[in-house]
Amino acid sequence: MYLNEMNPSVKALTILGLVLVLALLFDPITPLLFTVSVIIITFLFGTFRKKHYLLYLLPFTIFAFGMLWTTIAFADVPKNPGDTVNLIGWEVPREDLLVALSLSFRVLAFATLSLLFMFTTNMVEFLLSLMQQLRLPPKLAYGILAGYRFLPMLKTEFGQIQAAHRVRGLGQESRWKRYRRFAVPLLAGAIRKAERTAVAMESKGFTGSRERTFYRNLSIRKKDWLFPAGMSLLLGVILFLSIHFGYFSWYQGQL
Amino acid sequence: MKNWKLKEIVVMSVLSVVFAVVYLAFLPVGKVLVGFFGPIGYDFIFGIWFIVSIIAAYIIRKPGAAFLSETIAATVEVLLGNAVGPMLIISGMIQGLGAEAGFALTRYRRYDLWTLMFAGMMAGVFSFAWGYFQSGFAALAGGYVLLMFISRVLSGALIAGVGGKALSDALAKTGVLSSFALGKEKRKKHAA
Repeated sequence: MYLNEMNPSVKALTILGLVLVLALLFDPITPLLFTVSVIIITFLFGTFRKKHYLLYLLPFTIFAFGMLWTTIAFADVPKNPGDTVNLIGWEVPREDLLVALSLSFRVLAFATLSLLFMFTTNMVEFLLSLMQQLRLPPKLAYGILAGYRFLPMLKTEFGQIQAAHRVRGLGQESRWKRYRRFAVPLLAGAIRKAERTAVAMESKGFTGSRERTFYRNLSIRKKDWLFPAGMSLLLGVILFLSIHFGYFSWYQGQL
Repeated sequence: MKNWKLKEIVVMSVLSVVFAVVYLAFLPVGKVLVGFFGPIGYDFIFGIWFIVSIIAAYIIRKPGAAFLSETIAATVEVLLGNAVGPMLIISGMIQGLGAEAGFALTRYRRYDLWTLMFAGMMAGVFSFAWGYFQSGFAALAGGYVLLMFISRVLSGALIAGVGGKALSDALAKTGVLSSFALGKEKRKKHAA
C-alpha cells in the first residue's frame, strides 16, 4: 500500500512538520478533525494488523482522558468563573473545559500521527533511507541498527538471568530489589555483546565511511511527494474550516 | 563522528535501546503518580528519563554522547509505541541538549559526581522550558508550576546524576568497560 511503500524519510519529515504546526495551535476542533482524518488515512492507505492498531490506540485514548480531567482539576483560576458548563453533574468553568479539551485532542492528534508512522514503516528501511537521503553517518546508522537488533536478544538474556538467580535460591525479595539485581548483569552482557559486534563489523570491512554502496537503494520518487502535499492540504482545509466557524486560535501560553 | 570508535557507537546505541524500554516501563509509573498528585507526579521521577544521556556521557566521554544517546532512546521509544507521539523525539533531543550543555560547560573535562548532577539538572531545566511551551503548563497555577520545576530539577540531579553514576560505576566494577574512558580512568586510579 502507498504508506508502506513511500520513502520513510519523506514520511518522517512530513509527520514531524505536521506535529510542529499542530503544536502551535490551541483549539479543540482542529486537532479533533485532524485526528479523525489521520485515522481514516492510515486505514485506507496502509497495510497492517488492524487489531494491533486499535490495541495501541487504546492507551493513548486513556492518556488523553487522564489529561482531560487533571487539566480541569488543577486548572488556574478562570477569568469568568460564572461561565460554567455542566459536565455529568459537575460544574466546570467553560474556559477550563475548552483548554482541557484542546490539550487532550492535541495529544490524540500527535498519537495518531505517530501510529501512522509506526505501523507502516520498517525500521531497517527507515535507517537506510536516513543514510541515503538525509546523510546520516553510516557509522551511527549501522551502530543503531545493531543496537536495535539486541532487543529480542536482551529479552532472552533477561529470562536466563532470572532462571540463574532462581537456581541459586533468589527471587523472594521485593520487586525493586529484584530489578536492581538484574540491571548490572543485563547491561554488562549487553555491553560485552555490543563490543564483540563492533569488532565483527570492523573485521568484515566496515569502515563507516560515506563512500559506500548499498544492497538496497532507496530514492525519493515523484509519488512520494503526494503524502506531504496531501497532508498539508488536509491540515489547510481543516484550518480553514475552524477559522470559518470561529473556533481557531493560536497557542499563546494559555494563561 | 570521526573520532568515535565503532564500538563506542554500538555500545551507546545498545544503552539507548535498553533505556528506551526502561523509559517506556516508567511511563505507567508516572501515570500512577499523576493519579495521586496531579501533573507534578511525572516531575518526581522525571530524572529517570535523562539517565541514559548521563550514563553514556560518563562512560564514553566524548562530545555528543549525551545528546545522541537521548535522541536515539527517544526515537526507539516512538518506534516501539508510546503515549506521547513523535513529539517525544523532539523532547528527547531537548533533554539530551540540556545534559550536553552541562558537560560542554566543563569543556568535557570533568566527570565527577557534581558535573553529572549538574548535567542532570540542566536536562531538567531544558525539558521544563520545552514542557512549559508544549504541554500547556501555563494553564496551571503559578505556584504549582514552580513546585513542578523544582521537583523536576532535583529529580534530574538525584535520579539521573547520582543514580546514573552509581549504575555506571557498578558496571565498571564488572570490567566490561575496560576499553572505554570510564574503565580506563578506574584502572589508572587503581594502579596509582
